[in-house]
Amino acid sequence: MLRVDSLLGASTDHSLHDRLHHLEHHGAVEVVKIAVADLDRRRLLARTEKGEEVAITLPRDQKLFDGAVLLLDDKRAIVVRAGEQRWLRLSPHSASDALELGYHAGNLHWRVRFDGDDLLVSLDGPAATYAARIEPMIEGGRVTVSEESE
Amino acid sequence: MDARLSPHGKTASRVGAARVGIGGPVGSGKTALIERLIPAFAARGVSLAIVTNDLVTAEDAERIRRSGLIDPARVAAVEAGACPHTVIREDPTLNIAAADELEARFPDAELILIESGGDNLASTFSLDLVDWWMFVIDVAGGDDIPRKNGPGVLKCDLLVVNKTDLAPYVGVDLPRMEAEATAARGGRPIVLTNCRKAEGIEAIADKILSAVLFR
Repeated sequence: MLRVDSLLGASTDHSLHDRLHHLEHHGAVEVVKIAVADLDRRRLLARTEKGEEVAITLPRDQKLFDGAVLLLDDKRAIVVRAGEQRWLRLSPHSASDALELGYHAGNLHWRVRFDGDDLLVSLDGPAATYAARIEPMIEGGRVTVSEESE
Repeated sequence: MDARLSPHGKTASRVGAARVGIGGPVGSGKTALIERLIPAFAARGVSLAIVTNDLVTAEDAERIRRSGLIDPARVAAVEAGACPHTVIREDPTLNIAAADELEARFPDAELILIESGGDNLASTFSLDLVDWWMFVIDVAGGDDIPRKNGPGVLKCDLLVVNKTDLAPYVGVDLPRMEAEATAARGGRPIVLTNCRKAEGIEAIADKILSAVLFR
């Protein structure tokens, strides 16, 4: 089991980029995929795509992110790749519908992002579970729902 | 309250103790679980500290301090003052400060257990506060709890179903309750416990060890 107790930086950092690029050419950059919901953890057991276990323990002032470099030496590197983030796009049909939708989103402690007139809800479970919470608005044609990923 | 914001609580850039949350409804057995986990971790050589949350008292902290199981100085109390979930999710500052303070005073601490005040099924922990968390329900609270899909039950890393010994007395079909909880959680882990007789405790201690201490 490989132990990582600090992040070395981002794969885009100027100071790391050249070395990573060199290792990439030799097929020596390994990836650890971490679900978006787990990026907030300071401690977790992950696995590289080649199957090596990586025990991550970070100081409280560090956080995992897409492109975080966990290991970098002359022979290889290990980089975090964040899993897919799914969003539920909620499009209210009127200002009063938007007001009510905003109330529900707050009351349900959803993590949201604004996109013009739409509300994007960060999903960490089935979309249907989220939609069920505002079913009267959807059934009543007051909010249109679609799912997307990034 | 004996946990306060202070400069001593400032987080240093070092790997500190693992932090594990314990949430669940009032009376489900969170404090009783901690009282059983203390000797289980002692037997595994894990240096422990504890933060308890209560509404407007330090009742749970005092209970653990008086238990004789752990150095009372290693137990900190946070008084939520309002909805318990606000201080473990929306703004966990007080609990982070309490855990930081314990870490500063006891640098050997490897694990800090953070017990939430009793709350409802929607209660969840912020991962800014804890690395991993469990949610404790009990059979006497009703075998329909897993079917209600509360975020606490669904999102926790480990669901603990306590007071299994009471199942026959409250008309609960325990195997069915366990099966429904497993289905609701998509197969994620569940442990059945009877804290009065320390049943299921070793399994929880081992899960925490492997999940956050990697042993």
